[in-house]
Amino acid sequence: MLRCALILGVLVHTGTALLLAGPDSASSKPNPVLATEDRIWSGVVMATNSSSPKDPPPELREFATRLKRVFGYSQFELVGSASNDIGDHGESWLVPSQNFWLGVKARRANAKEARGGYLLNLQLFQDKRPLVDTEAKLAPGCPLFIRGPAYAKGQLIIVLQIERATPVVAGKP
Amino acid sequence: MKTFEERFTAWIDGQLAGDELAAFENELAAHPGAAAEREGALKLGQVLRTHGTAHTMSNADFFNLQVRQRIEAETPRPRPSERAGAGWSWSLPRLAWLGGFCLLIAVVLFKTTIPARQTGEQTPYFAQVVEAWPSDPSISATTVYSPESNVTVLWLEGLDYLPASYQLQ
Repeated sequence: MLRCALILGVLVHTGTALLLAGPDSASSKPNPVLATEDRIWSGVVMATNSSSPKDPPPELREFATRLKRVFGYSQFELVGSASNDIGDHGESWLVPSQNFWLGVKARRANAKEARGGYLLNLQLFQDKRPLVDTEAKLAPGCPLFIRGPAYAKGQLIIVLQIERATPVVAGKP
Repeated sequence: MKTFEERFTAWIDGQLAGDELAAFENELAAHPGAAAEREGALKLGQVLRTHGTAHTMSNADFFNLQVRQRIEAETPRPRPSERAGAGWSWSLPRLAWLGGFCLLIAVVLFKTTIPARQTGEQTPYFAQVVEAWPSDPSISATTVYSPESNVTVLWLEGLDYLPASYQLQ
């Protein structure tokens, strides 16, 4: 009887402690899933208006609706793209095209509301000419668009997006 | 005038004399059991005078100790469960109630202190441009937030127009 009571008490209080700790801490315990590094993806996009717009390339499908809504163009073509591992590596370079590239310095934002995002120091270059330095906070799923120069009858847009690392099960490639 | 009982008591105690004694003994002729009653009363007085006081005990403490031990031995002891009933015990129902109460507190704290997670694609967080420094005074940089699209745009104005002949690659 006493043993049953003790077992019940332990179970109840363990459950209570887990519930109080919340799902965050319950999921923060070590698990067999390891993560590679997050990546930063950038693309140079040419936005134009066309009477018969082409479908956006696969890389731009998740942005197409937002690009249309924000910039008002109907067709989006990817001039080039590049991605790099992101982390506390100091400065790295993203060269989505030979005309536009970015210098990136990243560090992980510690604030919980940053949702695992990064604080980035970005330098945008056009043909070796610096256009702008900026400091921005980016989190996965929250892209940053940079409205670049007008090009022909369209507009150049630089897209930056943090890509969450793909989980890899420990012991497997 | 003394009552019969008073004169009878005085007669037993031998306090009547003379005419008074003779008159009372004449009166006792109507009470045949009076002599036997006087005899009993005298015996009782003699016994009380002889044994009226208790013996002085030379070892009273030892006697008291024996009495206490005997009382304790003869008094039935309460069972442990009855003894514990007087205070608080960790019985199973009480543990269950306590556990339920703890869970209730935990649920209340969970609901009141831990913010609910945002679900769905639309999240209140979007990219933030903390600062932007154009390298050329002719370039201006402004930040445009579009919460409904969950997008942030760094809007650069004053950049050189690129003609179609510009080799974009």
